[in-house]
Parts: sequence; structure tokens; C-alpha cells
Amino acid sequence: MATIGSTARPRVAVAKFASCDGCQLTILDLEDQLLEIVSRFDIVEFPEATSRRSPGPYDIVFVEGSISAPEHYDQIKELRKQARILVTIGACASSGGIQALRNWADHDAFRAAVYEHPEWVESLATATPVSDHVKVDAELRGCPIDGSQLLELLTAVLVGRRPQIRDEAVCRECKRKGIVCMVVARGEACMGPVTTSGCDALCPTYGRGCFGCFGPRAGANAASWSRGLQKAGRPPEEVWRLFAGFTAYAEPFRSVVTELGAKKPAPAGPRR
Amino acid sequence: MITSPAPSQAAAARQWFLARGDLNSLIDALKESGRRVIGPTIRDGAIVYDEIASAGDLPAGWRDEQSAGHYRLDRRTDERLFGYTVGPTSWKRFVFPPNLTISTAHRSGQFGFDQPNPEPPQLAFLGVRACELAALAIEDRVFLGGQFQDEDFRARRSAAFIVAVQCTTSSGTCFCTSMGTGPEVHGGYDILLTEIDEGFVVQAGSPGGAAIVAALPARRPSHAESGAAVDMVEAVRARIGETLPIPGLAERLKLQLDNPRWAAVAERCVECGNCTMACPTCFCTAVVERSDMDGKLAATDRLWDSCFDSSFARVAGGDFRARPQDRYRQWLTHKFSTWVDQFGTMGCVGCGRCITWCPVHIDVREELMAIAPPVPPVERPVAVEPVAASPGSFSIARVAGVKAETEDTYTVSLSDMDPAFLRGRPGQFVMIALPAFPAVPISISRFRSNGIDLTIRAVGPTSTALTNLHPGSKGGVRGPLGTFWPIEDAYGRHAVVVAGGVGLSPLHGLVDALVANRDRFETVSLFYGTRTPEDRLFQDDLARWAASSAIDVAVTVDRAGPEWKGRVGVVTTLFDKIPWDCSKVTAFVVGPERMMQASVQGLISKGVPPDRIVISMERHMECGIGLCGHCQMAGRFVCKDGPVFRLNDLGEMFNREGI
Amino acid sequence: MDDYATVIAMLNHTWFGAELAPETQERLAKLGVVTGFESDEVVIHEGQPSEKMGILVSGRLALRTLVPGKGLVTIMSVEPGDIFGWSSVLPGMQAQSSVVATESCQALVIDGARLRAALREDHALAASVYPRVLEAVGRRLRATRLQLLDLFGR
Ligand SMILES: Cc1cc2nc3c(=O)[nH]c(=O)nc-3n(C[C@H](O)[C@H](O)[C@H](O)COP(=O)(O)OP(=O)(O)OC[C@H]3O[C@@H](n4cnc5c(N)ncnc54)[C@H](O)[C@@H]3O)c2cc1C
Ligand code: SF4
Ligand code: SF4
Ligand code: SF4
Ligand code: SF4
Ligand code: SF4
Ligand code: FES
Repeated sequence: MATIGSTARPRVAVAKFASCDGCQLTILDLEDQLLEIVSRFDIVEFPEATSRRSPGPYDIVFVEGSISAPEHYDQIKELRKQARILVTIGACASSGGIQALRNWADHDAFRAAVYEHPEWVESLATATPVSDHVKVDAELRGCPIDGSQLLELLTAVLVGRRPQIRDEAVCRECKRKGIVCMVVARGEACMGPVTTSGCDALCPTYGRGCFGCFGPRAGANAASWSRGLQKAGRPPEEVWRLFAGFTAYAEPFRSVVTELGAKKPAPAGPRR
Repeated sequence: MITSPAPSQAAAARQWFLARGDLNSLIDALKESGRRVIGPTIRDGAIVYDEIASAGDLPAGWRDEQSAGHYRLDRRTDERLFGYTVGPTSWKRFVFPPNLTISTAHRSGQFGFDQPNPEPPQLAFLGVRACELAALAIEDRVFLGGQFQDEDFRARRSAAFIVAVQCTTSSGTCFCTSMGTGPEVHGGYDILLTEIDEGFVVQAGSPGGAAIVAALPARRPSHAESGAAVDMVEAVRARIGETLPIPGLAERLKLQLDNPRWAAVAERCVECGNCTMACPTCFCTAVVERSDMDGKLAATDRLWDSCFDSSFARVAGGDFRARPQDRYRQWLTHKFSTWVDQFGTMGCVGCGRCITWCPVHIDVREELMAIAPPVPPVERPVAVEPVAASPGSFSIARVAGVKAETEDTYTVSLSDMDPAFLRGRPGQFVMIALPAFPAVPISISRFRSNGIDLTIRAVGPTSTALTNLHPGSKGGVRGPLGTFWPIEDAYGRHAVVVAGGVGLSPLHGLVDALVANRDRFETVSLFYGTRTPEDRLFQDDLARWAASSAIDVAVTVDRAGPEWKGRVGVVTTLFDKIPWDCSKVTAFVVGPERMMQASVQGLISKGVPPDRIVISMERHMECGIGLCGHCQMAGRFVCKDGPVFRLNDLGEMFNREGI
Repeated sequence: MDDYATVIAMLNHTWFGAELAPETQERLAKLGVVTGFESDEVVIHEGQPSEKMGILVSGRLALRTLVPGKGLVTIMSVEPGDIFGWSSVLPGMQAQSSVVATESCQALVIDGARLRAALREDHALAASVYPRVLEAVGRRLRATRLQLLDLFGR
């Protein structure tokens, strides 16, 4: 690992499975720091920015996207072998992403609803997070990821310290910013209490309820929050929709989605 | 300003009246003194504290409605400016910012750590309530009261100019009355406002405050205006009432660390930490490091942290508060118990923010009442005045019946007696005499509606004569005498009665009382040992008790013939089966002294606290009223200081030869 | 053939068996036979060679001895969890008293010779069974001493 004073630039690769590329775009969006990053890291594989292909091993592999097609199995195992540090970026890689909703649905019906010629598309019946298949060293959550968290991770790798990525409720950031809680003061729905921080309470800052894109906090009490939302008058379908978002397949959201999903017909097609 | 002296009597007495329309003059004066004014204003459906440009920013004519997990604004019928209580913001934000850079470090050029020089903003806080002043005082103790102090807090705190406002309304979540922090403001302010119909009664609490007040377009208030100001706050106190009984709570909570309710509330709590963030006194922080990509320039930020975080108590190798219930317990016990050990007061001022802003409606008051409910003050009955309480004097009673219990023991039922005997207590005794027979002490074994029972073993002349009485015979009685069973010592605990042989007689009335008040105790049990099955007293009652679910009865005999199907073994073998936590046992023991010794030893070795073992002593008695001197046991007269004693009251005297 | 799980569940209800290691519980369960006794059934005769030890699971047994002039006297009862026939852990002993069921009982009964053989060869078993037998005998000694004191004597 490169530490302070060493001249070798860490080799960084970015790999992509099933995802929308939004997270990679976040990297490109770091305009101010991009030059600095490129000057300090040797970015060898980055489908979204360069077509240069270079074999491993790598110091850091960022993985975007969920494991959703048969060939992904071998690819992710191979990447793991080549990677010193494997970091998942975004909701898809970290928890399966929105496409993981198909894990609850009839796969063929789902495919038929999405693609004009489903028979041309080869995909697995499930979309699963990378951590279901290989060991993951760090996760950058969010859909898309937060640029400053990415920067913090890269900086920490360079400096050789632990990245300061906290696992606390979004409510904590929300309260520190002095935002009036919309659940209590306006009776609106928000996933902040069970969602991990990192976005600086982005949605509540703009008066919208958190929709959980950073995924559950470790040990989040999703069952209680599901009950709480329903007690506050939210119909089960709406609560299902809140939990069945970008990180639906990550426990303990997964259990709530399963429980509430069982009470209603399976989704007819993909939902936003 | 915290450095300002307490208002002198004269200053406190000096009141002014400022018309509502003139409040701007105060805001302007504060601004002219070089301060930014922070006060209540409406944002996103709530009244928050933020910068105020003029009185027009204040929530005129608004009120708030608060309950657990619920906050709504509503119109008032008047145009009052402070007709609501505390909202989501607390002043802690301005003296103890949620996010603060506490040091910077650099290694290029000169190596070092720098602390930003605290250059505090000059702020005036407008609308500080009583509970909030109390919260600031608590933070003073936390940050400035110990050996190590927080300079940033000190700078911000002493720069703040405080305009307090009396509460003239309250919310469902307010409990300042219980915490002793409000609604009345007592000091700690520069200026105090009380809003009445037409404007404000104004008082200065510091020289700085007096200087500002002097420049206001204010006049002297009328009597009626001053009176209204007092009445409004008194009405708030009455409306809130005392919802949370605080005396003893800190100690009671410490005894409830294993209460199952912790797990139950943790099932509901989503550990969002909103309570600790909203709380005006929570002071925990986390430090977060930032650096540039070379690690040459770094900064340390301090953030409000929360003990609800799963990583709050983590160390390499594990988490000291791994379960959600551990974390909820930390929060509640810190606020209401351990804070006292650390800082001398509770960590709660009763502002109710943690209740309102909990998204799953957890109300700390409810949890506290469920986990550590106030123990109803134990009423200890006093003994009735005994009748015939002088040597040689007796009151007459009639024998209503005599019933054989065993070969040599009989229960003599007395009636037609002085009603004082009926008001005696289990454990007390009478002196009973027959003409020509000296008086002897006999325990009251049962209280009936029209008399008492004595259960007497014929061992000598008087006792034999007594057991030979017939219905209709008369006897002379003195009593009721002596101490009685402290049944209250067993409230909320496992009540265990240990009887040996005729020792069940003074315990019979106790068992009756335990069964009658069954829900006061965790469990009630009777362990009864006799020499043989034939020696058991009260066999009907034993069978009745054994069949009842109110009490567990275990009987054992020392030896028996083949026809006995019950237990055989000394009474202490019954203790082997005690399934409960013996520290929660209160035991009442009577029997021959050797049996009591063995039982007491057995109970103590099982973990029953000695101060929870109560025994009844037998000594030779001739008077029963402390005059004849026969019953002395070291410094005690067993007749009037006993016969019922707590073991630790007897101390060394119990189980000692020759006393 | 007993269902071992049931026997182990029974053992778990006794102070004698509850804290034994699972292997030891299983060993005991395999050595013993769950036996029922009817009320008044004589389980062990006083004076005869000790040939079985039992762990009482439910019911009550009486230890009886013939006292000259007084006839048969119950000197102690055996309660669930207690053992009886402890002398059979030693070879060549005679039963110290008769053991009679005073109500219908269930016990795990172990043949003395098998028990002794097992204790000889299985040191783990011996290490946990002997202290318990000793504890049971110790309790009896303490109780007997108190009985001798005649707690209810005047
Ligand atoms: C507080 C108290 C409560 C008692 N409750 C009962 C009871 O409920 N039922 C019961 O059968 N007995 C009870 N006794 C004991 C009872 O008082 C004696 O058994 C009775 O006094 C014997 O008197 P006697 O004249 O029949 O026998 P005695 O032949 O005079 O004496 C027989 C035995 O009783 C003792 N004794 C004699 N006189 C007294 C006396 N005044 N006080 C204490 N002991 C004495 C003697 O020392 C002797 O050991 C109680 C004693 C006390 C101190
Ligand atoms: S608005 Fe959402 S994130 Fe903010 S405190 Fe309320 S529940 Fe938490
Ligand atoms: S708790 Fe008391 S002092 Fe605080 S706002 Fe409520 S009434 Fe006012
Ligand atoms: S514990 Fe709750 S009621 Fe007490 S001071 Fe804190 S927020 Fe207010
Ligand atoms: S309750 Fe928790 S967050 Fe608040 S001061 Fe105590 S330990 Fe800190
Ligand atoms: S606000 Fe309520 S749910 Fe959130 S941590 Fe506090 S008690 Fe738990
Ligand atoms: S009995 Fe007379 S002094 Fe106590």
C-alpha cells in the first residue's frame, strides 16, 4: 500500500456489473479534485473514462453494479483475486440495487415487462450484492455515491489511515443541520431513522423524505420503523414502496419488503 | 451572561412595562450593542431559534401542540409573541455547535497542532425559557465545572446575552415542574420578560440588562399588570402538574438494570439518536479527522454524537453496549441517574424535546414510570395501646371454644373481649392469667372478627390449665403486646415463612395477612418442619393453603412412620429447592431456638440478606410490659422491644450462648 | 431402548444432571434405564448388596430403616433431583436403608456393576459423577446432624 512519502502510485481499477453508471459519473463530477486524483493514482481500468485495458493486480478495485448475469460470478471472483482492496460503490454493488426487486418477483414476467425481446437477454433470476459472492473491504453507499465520501476513501488510502465513514442515522445529520423533522412536524414519511448517513441529509435538506438510498445502518430497527410509519397512517403499500427502493435487498430492509410484499400482489413491473 | 452577579433584591423588585408594539425597541437596543439576536421564528412547520431581524420575525399569534412524536403549529386567538413552548432547536446549538473544527495540524514546514482561537460571535438569545436556563446551567457544570474545561464553550457562553421569557403556556410534553426547573424563571438572565395581555412585564437581572432596560420606552407596571404576570406562570404550573415523581428515582433506576422493559422499549426504539440531538444537555461528541491527499494538512472536527450509535462504545474486540437495550438504558439512566453521580444534578430539565421529536413516540416519562415506578410510601402501622397494661391488671375475656391441634396443643378461642385485642397485629402476644395461675405470654395465632385465638401447648401448670378451659370459662388478658411482623419489609419481594413446630402459631396470623395482600409480593411460601407428622399444627389450614395458588406450602418432618407419604428431612433441606434470587427474599422465622439458628444459617448461606430475616424470640416473661426485667436479652426487653426482631437488630445477641 | 433426548431432558430437570456436560449426560442416559415405580413399591431392600443407583426424576421415595421397638421409620425422603442407592458406586457395599416409593415415581436407574465399570474407564464421567455423589452424601450428613440436634427439642 502506498503510504506517505512513497512514490509508487496505487493502481486503481473501476469495474462495472449491472448498474446505470451514475456512480462512475460521480467520480467524473469531482472536477476540482479529478486532476489531483489522476496525478496520485494510476487509473488503469475505467470503462466510463478510458478504453485502456490493463491486467491486474490492482491496489484498489471499485466495483459498481450488482451480480445479475451468469458470467458475473466468475468475473467478480477473478477481480477479487486481483484486488488488494475491493470497494463496492453505490447501492447496486453494495445491496443489489433497484434491480434486486426482481428477487421477489416472477423473473420471466419481470423480464417480459422490461424488455421487448426477453429471449435475447440472458440474466439471472436474482440481482445480488457483491458481498454475497466475495469479501468486500469497504462500501461506498448511495445512489449515486457521495463524492466527498469517495474522496475521503481515496485520501485515507493514500495517507494510510482509516476512512472516516460513519454509520449513523441520517437523522443525526439532519438534526445537526437544524432541519425540522418532517415526520414529527408535518406527518410526512422519511427513511432517515433507519438509513445510514453519508449524504449530509440531502433529501431532508430539500424538504423531501429520505428514501433510503444509502441503505440500512448496521442493526437498523427496520421492523419498528415499518410499524411506526404504518401507525402514523401510511398504508402498507406505501411503506413497502419506501423500503423496496434502491437498497431493498439489504437486510433488514429485505425482511420488511418480504413481509409487506406478502400482504399484497407481486409487483406487475419494475417500480421506480 | 454567566459572570453577572445574581440580581440584587432591589433590581429584582424593579419592574417595567413594555407595550407589545414596542418590543422592537429591545431588539434594536440589542443589535446596537453589537449583537446578533437569535430568537424564535417559524420555519418548515415549527418554531425554531434563528437570527431575528425584527419583532416581525417572531411567531405572533401562533401556538404549538406537542405530544410524543407529534408537533403541529396552530393559530392562537390573540397576537401574543411567545404563546408557545420549546421547539426542536435548543440553545445548545449556539454555545456548543453541532459541528466545530477543534484543531488543525500540519506537517509541511513546521510540524504542529493549532487550536482555532475562540472568537465567539456576540449573540443575544431572545426567548430563553426556564427549562432552557436550567439546561444552560447544567452545561456549565459539564463543560466548566470540572478539572478540564471547554474553552470554546466558555467563550460562547459568556458572550451570550440572555433575554428570558416566562412560560405562560405549556405543552403536553413539558415536565419542568417535576424536574424543579420551571415554569418560573429564577435568575440566570440579563433581562426577563413576562408576556401579559397588552405587553411585557420587564425585569433586569444584570447590570448589562439594566442598562438596556433603562433605554427602553417602558413605564412602571400597574399593580394589576404585575399581578397578572405572576398569575399566568402560576397557572402554567398548575396545568402541568407533577407528572414524574422524581424523589428516589435516581436510586431506583440503579436497581432496575435488569428490568425486562429495557428490551421492550428497545424493540420500539429505532436508535435514530433524535432524542440526544434534541436534548439541550446531551454533550457527547465524536471527532472526525480530515486531511488533504498528502496527509500534510489535517483538521479535526467535533460533531454531536449519540450513545445510540452502534459504534459509540466499541473497542477493538467488541462493543460494551452491544444490544439496543444496553444503549437505551445508557441514555435513560444517564439522564435520570448516573448524571447525578457525575455532575450533582440530573441531566434532564423536563423540556420534553426527546418526547416530541422521537419518531416512534417513546415518552421517557412513561418508560421511567414503568421501569422504576415510585414505591408507594410504606405505611407502617403503629401498635395499638394495650389494655390492662400494668402489673396485676387484666381485662376479662370469654372462652368461645377449644380445639385440639395435636396431642398436647390446643387452640383456645377468646371472645367478648376489649376491641383493642382485635386491632393487634400478627406477631404480637398477650399475657394470660387464670386465678391462682401466674400470667404467661402466649402469641395471638389468629384474629377473628369477634376475638382472637391462642394456640397453647401444655407444658406446665398454667399452660395445662389453659388448655383445659371450656367454652364459657373466663380468663384475664393483657395486650396486645410487643412488636409485630414488619410485613412491609417483604413488599415486592419473595415472602418466605419458616416455621418449626409450635412456631407456626405466631406465624399463622402473618400467613393470613400475606395471603390477603398477595399482590404486594413476588411469591409467598411457607416452609414448615415438625418432628413428626403428628406434631403439625393447623392441619386444616395447611391443607387449605396447600390447595390455594396464593401460597406455596412445603411441609417436612424429621421422622415418620410408613404411613406418611410426605417429605422427611429437617426443615433446612427445604431451602435447597428455593428457585428464586435469594437476595430478593424476606424471611420470617419462628421455632425453637436451635431450629431458628439452623434456619437462619441456611437462609444466609443461600444469599438472603440478614436485614431481611425477621425472627421472634422467646424469653421468660412475667409482665410483658418492660417492668419485671425477666425477658432481658443484653440491652433489650424482649417483651416490648421484641419479640419480633430483624436479625441485624439483634446483631451479636442472636445465636450466642448465655445471653 | 429409551429415547436419549427425553432422558437428557429429564436429567436437565435435576440438580444432579443439569450442569453435566452433554457428553456425560449422554453417557449416563445410555448407561441407565428410565424406570417407573408404583406407590409402596420397594426399590431397594435394606441390607442387601447395593446393585443400583438412581436419579429420581419425579415422585418421592422414602428411605426407611427398622428401628428396634419403633418398627419401620422413614428417616429421610428422596426428592426429585436427589439420588438413591449411592453406595453402589463402591463395590461390595450393602444398602444402608430400604428405598420405598411413597407415590408413583420415575427415575433413571443405573446398574451398579455397569456404573462402576464405566466410572473406572471413563475419567471424564468419574470426574463429574463422583463430586455429585459426594455432594448428595454430604447433604445427607448435614441433614442427619441437624436431625440429631433435634431442632424441635425443648
Ligand atoms: C412472646 C412469647 C410468646 C409465646 N407464645 C406461645 C404460644 O403461642 N403458645 C404456647 O404454647 N406457648 C407460647 N409461649 C411459651 C409459653 O409462654 C410457655 O410455654 C408457658 O409460659 C409455660 O408456662 P407453664 O406455667 O404452663 O409451664 P412451666 O412449668 O411454668 O414451664 C414450662 C416451660 O415454660 C417456660 N416458661 C414458664 N413460664 C414462662 C413464662 N412466663 N414465659 C416464658 N416461658 C415460660 C419454662 O421456662 C419451662 O421451660 C410463648 C412465650 C413467649 C415469650
Ligand atoms: S426528517 Fe427524516 S432524517 Fe430528518 S430527523 Fe426526521 S426522520 Fe430523521
Ligand atoms: S418545560 Fe416548563 S419551562 Fe420548559 S417550555 Fe415547558 S413550561 Fe416552559
Ligand atoms: S431528557 Fe428529554 S426532557 Fe430531559 S432535557 Fe433532555 S430532551 Fe428535555
Ligand atoms: S444520554 Fe447519551 S448522548 Fe446524551 S449525554 Fe448521556 S451518553 Fe451522551
Ligand atoms: S428518538 Fe426515540 S427512536 Fe430515536 S433514539 Fe431516541 S428513543 Fe430511540
Ligand atoms: S416480661 Fe417483664 S420486663 Fe419483659
